Amino acid sequence: MQNLSSILKSVSKPGRYTGGEYGQIIKDKKNIKCRIAFCFPDTYEIGMSNLGVRLLYGALNSMPDVWCERVYAPWTDMEEQMREHKIPLFAHESKDNVKDFDIVAFSLQYELCYTTAINMLDLAGIPMLACDRGEDDPVILGGGPCAYNAEPVADFFDIFSIGEGEEALPELAELYMRMKGNGTYTKTAFLREASHLKGFYVPSLYEVRYNEDGTISSFEPKYDDVPKRVEKRIIKDLNTSCFPTKPIMPFIEVVHDRIMLETFRGCIRGCRFCQAGMVFRPVREKSAEVLNCQAREIFENTGYTEISLTSLSISDYSCLHEATDKLLEWTNPNKINLSLPSLRADSFTKELMNKVSSIRQSGLTFAPEAGTQRLRDAINKNLYEKDLMNAVRLAFEGGKSQVKLYFMNGLPTETYEDIEGISSLASRVVDEYYKTPNRSKKPVTVTVSVSCFVPKPHTPFQWEPQNSLEELCDKQKYLAEKITDRKIRYTWHEAKVSRLEAVFSKGNRRLSRAILCAQQKGMRFDAWDEHFDYEKWMQVFEECGIDPDFYANRRMGYDEILPWDVIDIGVSKKFMMSESKKAYESVTTPNCKEKCSGCGANKLGGDMTWCPKMKQ
Amino acid sequence: MVSENEAIKVRIKFKKYGSLMYISHLDLSRTMQRIMVRSGIDIWYSEGFNPQPRIVFACPLPVGVESECELMDIKINTPMECDEIKRRLNDNFPSEMEALDVYFPEAKIKEIAYIDYEIRINSTKISDGICEKLENMFSHDLFVIKKSKGSEKEINIKEYINSFSAKIEQNELVIHTVLCSGGEKNLSPELLVDTIRKNTELLNGSPLEEYYSILRKRILKGNLEIFK
Repeated sequence: MQNLSSILKSVSKPGRYTGGEYGQIIKDKKNIKCRIAFCFPDTYEIGMSNLGVRLLYGALNSMPDVWCERVYAPWTDMEEQMREHKIPLFAHESKDNVKDFDIVAFSLQYELCYTTAINMLDLAGIPMLACDRGEDDPVILGGGPCAYNAEPVADFFDIFSIGEGEEALPELAELYMRMKGNGTYTKTAFLREASHLKGFYVPSLYEVRYNEDGTISSFEPKYDDVPKRVEKRIIKDLNTSCFPTKPIMPFIEVVHDRIMLETFRGCIRGCRFCQAGMVFRPVREKSAEVLNCQAREIFENTGYTEISLTSLSISDYSCLHEATDKLLEWTNPNKINLSLPSLRADSFTKELMNKVSSIRQSGLTFAPEAGTQRLRDAINKNLYEKDLMNAVRLAFEGGKSQVKLYFMNGLPTETYEDIEGISSLASRVVDEYYKTPNRSKKPVTVTVSVSCFVPKPHTPFQWEPQNSLEELCDKQKYLAEKITDRKIRYTWHEAKVSRLEAVFSKGNRRLSRAILCAQQKGMRFDAWDEHFDYEKWMQVFEECGIDPDFYANRRMGYDEILPWDVIDIGVSKKFMMSESKKAYESVTTPNCKEKCSGCGANKLGGDMTWCPKMKQ
Repeated sequence: MVSENEAIKVRIKFKKYGSLMYISHLDLSRTMQRIMVRSGIDIWYSEGFNPQPRIVFACPLPVGVESECELMDIKINTPMECDEIKRRLNDNFPSEMEALDVYFPEAKIKEIAYIDYEIRINSTKISDGICEKLENMFSHDLFVIKKSKGSEKEINIKEYINSFSAKIEQNELVIHTVLCSGGEKNLSPELLVDTIRKNTELLNGSPLEEYYSILRKRILKGNLEIFK
């Protein structure tokens, strides 16, 4: 590091690159048979906030002959220095070159990180395209939510981990060490062997053929021993699975700088636009007892004074009250704040509001997603206006004067009536404030935040086209005209960003060349406003002969082979189709606790104490 | 919790080096609050709406500077042996930080007047006469621009330097210098290095070939005795 010192002094936030944090894991290289560089293709502050990466870091480092280290994407000022002085990408803990590791893993959390990810390979001096890499190059592994449709980056990765990785990645490392140890390792042999492990997808072992119109005509494994479909992995029992209780303590401020306690995985709700709600099925809960013990241990190991209970929808956690009661017994005397993100409006109670300090301190956020009951039914939100009004009234009675509401534009079946509905719903929330007798003396602010619908793979809306850019912009403008009340603050997402997300979400292998072309043009950190350049992306697509409309704005046929059909998330295509059809009839589906709708995810197993079908 | 006056004031001397030199003062104080909590040291919290643990750092260390004499004062509610505090801190410090001494303060922070630094310069441009040239340079009037909180003023750097000596050790230029610190007069060692860069051939090349390090050695009172 000595010779890096002058460079680190010249870049912004050098603490991003130096490591040395309390809780980082240092091992003796002599005893290590497999070195893994775990890359997060975004800044340190974002990467350090990711719970999944922390879990996998813990799981891999619990293996005595494996050493897993962290790598984050250097910000552009650091990259400039590294390229100028020929410093290759290095790992946080050892400062060794990423190129010399056995396995280089990437956590792919969102589509707009793709250019940053392959740029990290380039910075490491590793050829970006899998076909250009040799035996001496590390195995490049991808995972995370984007792996559920990894096709747009299939040309860059050797292998993808599908689903939850705490058990799968150690198995992959075992296989690597075994084959290295008995001399049978070649990259080809290893990848072929790895394709037999549960939950691993090796894109090079599949042949994709296309029709003239660009749709897929066949997607088949090249060899008989390679599975036709790759079933995702799940952790069956969260009470006994690995949950590291000595996390790394960042020095510099990161996005989520607190104890993140995972309460349960999956979601009972089944909103039809939501990928997380489908791909994390079935629901598996952690017991209040285990949660409380883990919280206590992490507190003692870190000194954090804030605990956040994480999940997709915290109020659906069946032991929420038991867990918060247990936690509050010792968090209150220790001056620890408890926060509950992802609260649903229909489960917001006075009791919860009084318990949880984060609610006491800040404003409240609810996500009705759509402005009318008809559209909320079409997307299966299962939320009624009276629930929302009830929740905001409670908040106003509790002294709140600020409420934030999340909506989406461009949802399937949306009409201008639905958009106007957003404005009138917000007005009724304002009215509710003035109807509340013992409200605060401050003027009310209702923030309406509207994003654009992006159709996602493995959801009932996977076949849907996204609205065109013009339509999305028109809808945003229309809503802006409808909102005249100055007590309502209207913010919206950049439609161009959502459009690019749609292209990559629904993309196929042909997009790899566009990503490569973009990287070569110097594009990275596309999720950052200051780096996002839509016009440049359109130019890239044109140069590569790619029509973005084909991906973002085309309705796919129910009988079409989808690029992500090779991945089996447990939920059947039949269920997705039936949900898709019900959307057009505005018919809702009950949540998993009320009634099992037979989505298919139960075939994956897991602890199903909450499941009505299992109880019978 | 006891009242502020009843709380026991304890001074901690610690080392901060290696990659920790890039950690800013603000980040260090947040880190230190968490260290106190996980060490189980019963630290005194400020009163009021948003209670904060009371930790006071003697002279905030600039980013990029290492130190073997950092000082911070804490207040504790219940008595605890100084050695026990030291042990607990060392169990909970990150690897490049070390508690050296824990004691009851003798002097007040405002008595700090000077800080002793060691600056090491690695450069291909180190010539025979460089030590004399530098010693000569800093013993004569030399006007430099000092930036502080957005304002700039011209100062005679000589008046901010109590002593300055340079020698060459195994191709490395080693400088020992005592600079004004605390109170009205303050000179950052970075400004000294910057002045060397602007007035000599040193440190003008590639940052991989020419580099330097700054180490804070001792904190001193006005009479040049060690501040305790």
